[in-house]
Amino acid sequence: MKSVTALLSGAALVCLVSGAMPLAASAAECSGTIKVLAQPRDGLTLLDKYRDEFAKLSGGANFQIDYLNENDRRAKTKADASTIGRYNVYYIDEANVALFASSGWVAPLLDYYPKDYDYNDFDPGRRAVATYDGKVWFAPLTGGGDLMVYRKDLLEAAGIQPPRTLDDYIAAVKKLNQPDKGIYGTALRGQRGSGANVWRWMPFFKGFGGQWFDGNTPVFDSDAAVKATETYLELFKYSAPGTQTGSWDEAVGAFTSGQVAMLTESTPLVGMALDPKQSQVSDKIGYLPPPSPLTGGGYGHGLAIGTKANKDEVSKQCAGLFIAWATSKENEQRRLEEHQFSELNRSSVFASKKFAELYGPDLGQALADTGKVTAVNFWQSPLWPELGDRWGIILEELVTGTRTDIKGGLDELNDFAKQLVARGQ
Amino acid sequence: MKHKSTLPAVFLSPALLILAVLALVPTVFAVFISFQDRELSRPDGRFVGLDNYLALFSDRRFVNAIGVSLTWEVLTVGLTLLVALLIGILMFEYAGPRWRSALSLMFLTPVILPRVSAAFVWKFAFHPLYGIITWPYKAITGQPLDLLSDPATALGTVALVDIWQWGLFFAVIVLKLLETLPPQPFEAARLDHARTWQVYAYVAIPMLKAPLISLAFVKMVESLRAFDLIYVMTRGGPGITTETLDMYAFSQGFIESGRISYASGMAVLMMIATSIVFTVIWKRTRA
Repeated sequence: MKSVTALLSGAALVCLVSGAMPLAASAAECSGTIKVLAQPRDGLTLLDKYRDEFAKLSGGANFQIDYLNENDRRAKTKADASTIGRYNVYYIDEANVALFASSGWVAPLLDYYPKDYDYNDFDPGRRAVATYDGKVWFAPLTGGGDLMVYRKDLLEAAGIQPPRTLDDYIAAVKKLNQPDKGIYGTALRGQRGSGANVWRWMPFFKGFGGQWFDGNTPVFDSDAAVKATETYLELFKYSAPGTQTGSWDEAVGAFTSGQVAMLTESTPLVGMALDPKQSQVSDKIGYLPPPSPLTGGGYGHGLAIGTKANKDEVSKQCAGLFIAWATSKENEQRRLEEHQFSELNRSSVFASKKFAELYGPDLGQALADTGKVTAVNFWQSPLWPELGDRWGIILEELVTGTRTDIKGGLDELNDFAKQLVARGQ
Repeated sequence: MKHKSTLPAVFLSPALLILAVLALVPTVFAVFISFQDRELSRPDGRFVGLDNYLALFSDRRFVNAIGVSLTWEVLTVGLTLLVALLIGILMFEYAGPRWRSALSLMFLTPVILPRVSAAFVWKFAFHPLYGIITWPYKAITGQPLDLLSDPATALGTVALVDIWQWGLFFAVIVLKLLETLPPQPFEAARLDHARTWQVYAYVAIPMLKAPLISLAFVKMVESLRAFDLIYVMTRGGPGITTETLDMYAFSQGFIESGRISYASGMAVLMMIATSIVFTVIWKRTRA
């Protein structure tokens, strides 16, 4: 009996070892430089310190990360992936995952993502936006929803309670706007782009009950869209200078430099606002979920395996190994140690003692609460970037006053959407 | 005798071959795909005849981009030459050799700066909250000055950066051109009691007509490629008030939609229009 058990144990061991072998073999076969096209992230920069670790793990491979800001990264990844394909790994996001996946520019991630790295540990919201057509396409580097972030000192001085509804929020923004004292009520995004001004406008649109499409028929040209745009433009009267043609950088920069009373932005803002190295108002910050009925803009950015540069299976496995390592629990723990709040994506890290120690229970609660109102606000289609960018142009025109007819702008977008759908068929 | 006549062709052919590959192939390809409906996400394409060209003329952004490009050309070429002439003449008239050298070195610096870096530096300088240029206005009036977000001032503000780079560089060239002129016509004009401005307006500048026309052509070509400066500083905004033709073509090809056939149609039209306009101007100015 013992010999049978020993035999079975031996067989099991062989199976285990042979099961692990493809990974070990593929890792050992990696060489050369894995080229990554990304947008600046502290979490990616941090990887530079641990190059040797990846070289050892991969059997000698190195990596090179080229950075471009968000809009440029989107343009360049699209151009590269559809033409020469120089990059092994692309930084993609929720807005273009459908386009990249349906065009065959990226490979299904989980086919090449070593199981040991536990993909399911990522926050469910981030996994949802990384999934298209039933397959996972990227491993998250950042993501989340929205939070309303405000200056406690300014609200207290004005006798205003942190607003829970949009009406109260608008009233508070108007009251807190004091340009003569260098304080602006809010900061929005005016710069064109599906990931810029449209991103901040969409919570209003969805919050007022707007929908993008019914099947292939556009239905967004509605009262909800008009109301959302009117409200957005109304709030823009109290938005800090520079934001009319600015995006995340300008809005967040105005807030962290102490010139904005309150704003609703993507969750990484809180980490920046609380960090004394990045914020002049780090000790005066309060945060809550977005005022009702605004929905949070669910988003996720991450790394995906390019198909053109990785012609064979081994190359894809090497790219997959790099992505797994770059987004591993160990590396995310390092980001936590470095106080890189916006670079955290794993449930195990959010639940860790260190996270509670660094950010306290309030932020954890606020993140949990905002998770309940976080939604996919955009149209989940490969055609979304084109539609969203077109609306971004019209919205920027409205914000800067080069056009004034909201309904005319929406009608123009409606015609464009019909042509877009017809072209896509 | 036969050898003598074929030698230039032998030497020229490799260069012409390289030029043909580098310039002709992409141009022919651009013309070819402008008659198709190719998109980045769809490698295959079918011929659609003149559809892209016809669609362009009902595209308000394309029509707007033509206007913006023309304004940009007139503004940057005209003001660059004006600044260059003014500063070049001032240096020639009032600066000694040492000052001329020092100023020339200083004026060459902007054009050596990479365009994108210059654009970022100036964008920050014009920022309504932190910009060094807008700060005095804010300090005096208490109101922020947002030049790049104002449709009335955005294009002019970006043009200012272009003129800063090229106007100062051309000023050095104008100075060097003036230094090459013979002194006798200047002396003769002064003996005839001509005022300083008259000496330059009626003597020096007419003598420099040919090189100044060449400078104007260089700047005209350069201004057509101002994509990087505009892209960094305004991205074509506010709205579409600074969206030039090259910016819109790139936007259609790569940023917004990946419609490379449509974008190629724009590029082909630009090529035809600039070839015609430049030829006409060249012939007229030579006459």
